[in-house]
Amino acid sequence: MGLLSPFVRTRAVIGIALAQLRRSPGRTVLAVLAVTLSVLAITLLASLGVGVVEVGETGLDNADRDIWISSDPVDPSANGAENPIPDAHGTSAALTERDDISSAAPLAMHEVYIGTEPDQLERTTAVGVQETHDGFDFEAGSGFDRAELPDEGERPTEPQTAEIVLDPQVAEDAGADVGDTVYVGTSRQTAPEYEFTVVGVASYYSQFLGTPAATVPLPDLQIVAGTTGTDRATFITADVEDGADQGAVRDDLATEYREYDVRTSEEQIEAMVAEQPLVLASGMTLVGLAVVGGSVLTINLFALMVTQQRRELAALRAIGLSRGLLSGMIAVQGLVIGLLGGIVGVAATPLLADGLNRVALSLVGFENLLRTPVEVYVAGFALALIVGTVVAGITGWRVGRTLKLEHLEQ
Amino acid sequence: MIHRVLGTLASSASQPADDHRTPPAVRLADVTHEYGTGGGRFRSGDRRTVTALRNVSVTIQPGEIVGLEGPSGSGKSTILHLVAGLLVPTSGSVELHGTELSALSNRKRTRARRQHVGIVFQHFHLLPSLSARANVALPLVQTGVSKRKRRRRATELLERVGLGDRTTHLPSELSGGECQRVAIARALATDPDVVIADEPTGELDTATGETVLELLTEIGRERAVVLASHDEATLAVADRVLTLRDGRVVSDGG
Repeated sequence: MGLLSPFVRTRAVIGIALAQLRRSPGRTVLAVLAVTLSVLAITLLASLGVGVVEVGETGLDNADRDIWISSDPVDPSANGAENPIPDAHGTSAALTERDDISSAAPLAMHEVYIGTEPDQLERTTAVGVQETHDGFDFEAGSGFDRAELPDEGERPTEPQTAEIVLDPQVAEDAGADVGDTVYVGTSRQTAPEYEFTVVGVASYYSQFLGTPAATVPLPDLQIVAGTTGTDRATFITADVEDGADQGAVRDDLATEYREYDVRTSEEQIEAMVAEQPLVLASGMTLVGLAVVGGSVLTINLFALMVTQQRRELAALRAIGLSRGLLSGMIAVQGLVIGLLGGIVGVAATPLLADGLNRVALSLVGFENLLRTPVEVYVAGFALALIVGTVVAGITGWRVGRTLKLEHLEQ
Repeated sequence: MIHRVLGTLASSASQPADDHRTPPAVRLADVTHEYGTGGGRFRSGDRRTVTALRNVSVTIQPGEIVGLEGPSGSGKSTILHLVAGLLVPTSGSVELHGTELSALSNRKRTRARRQHVGIVFQHFHLLPSLSARANVALPLVQTGVSKRKRRRRATELLERVGLGDRTTHLPSELSGGECQRVAIARALATDPDVVIADEPTGELDTATGETVLELLTEIGRERAVVLASHDEATLAVADRVLTLRDGRVVSDGG
């Protein structure tokens, strides 16, 4: 045996493996498709997992506010949302007067009933804000201007602006369009008392909350919710002046408003995501499922492939080929199939993710629910290549260990 | 012609004077084999013990063709497996060209099989994706023989079995007889001392079977051949036929 023997053997093993794949095109194509499916299972499920975790974060990012003042617990899904900050407008005004803050605005959330008919009401979340802005990206209509505060001592009982921006899905469910009148109330009984005009359709705050939401002027929402007197809000958000240090402003405000939690936007993102264990768990479960499911599919595929070649392998073993050589032969087949399946799977991922995102957008109103960071592609491709090769090799090795002439006589 | 050649070779090979000079090609001494205990992983999980061979002793000299006959389950295949080192006996010894196989590790037994034993199967078992030439060259892959030399050797062997014009054909493009001849050429690739054949004509019609048997007897001039078969015509080419019943040799023919 010469020094070149391992090289000669490796070349021969690759040649035989490729011949096996080439001469069974049907089996090869099916195997590649199966690996593609495994890769897609990984990339798409993992994308969904990443998306689920990131949805809330991106919503907050979109809000683009430097400082968040709240009082825990904040339930961003607005189910039974508490609005623990009283005198929200007064506090916001006081904040805006500070030198280091350019603007501050309160934000309240309430669970409400909305419908075009008093007896056909759907439950949804309403976000009360002072005004809408360009970031809303309206699908139809426009927003409302800054709501004027009621004069001191004056307690209006009717919404003053009475304009509402609906999430596309809420609008569709309610059958409402721009210009229509909808009824809004915190209960089915009170809803018929408050009429709002739909001025726009946008999903801006739906993305922020992770659930379809309507946007109304804060004073109007407070009237509907009966919190005008205490002027309650969920958050007060603020932008710091250019050049001011977010951290320093945060510390300052934390000292001044000891009863509240004052956070920078990054800290707020972390806090809100951490308060959503279900979302985190769902996201992680999806990623876990993706990896386990994809691996099981791949392992199963190569185990089947080896079983199918059992007789051929038994013959090769009988004529004196070593287990190492046989498992190498199978591993090369696994590598090639994994490589092809990995490439097809990774190439198909953005197309399918895009398609699924469109479906998700039309069904639940989320944009870009599936996120495909480069790690997702790497995980899918690595699974195809590494698991494919290793599993094929190990299965080949194990089969080589138990093969006897009996397999040839069957 | 075949019998004349074999007769000469067989009688000279079995002369006692040669015994102490060249080791026998195969020697089974007092071999007992039970399936379901030891002897490798054969049918693992089967807790019942089946005795396939009982105290079998056989010596086969180079140049000798030995036939194995007997009903199914009589132990023919077990003897072939033992000679090929695919099984290790429960007790007794199996020597191949003077080497005690039971004492070898799995890896070394595989090497011994590769160097000293060529196998011809009833169902040929050629790799359908490889050409006749590549199939014949397969056993040489393990030994690290270069592609050029493998091809040359395989072509020579295919010419020797009368298939010089079929080297690039796939098994699916060959007849049954041609496939078996390719399998015989493959069995000779490493120039083994012993060729074992399990029902080599079982899949072939009479005329094709005769061609294959002629080839096997020709091979038998230079090396030991062990044939297991139910077929009388096949066994007729053997110098002696061992008859097996329930794992025992009831007649060592002649």
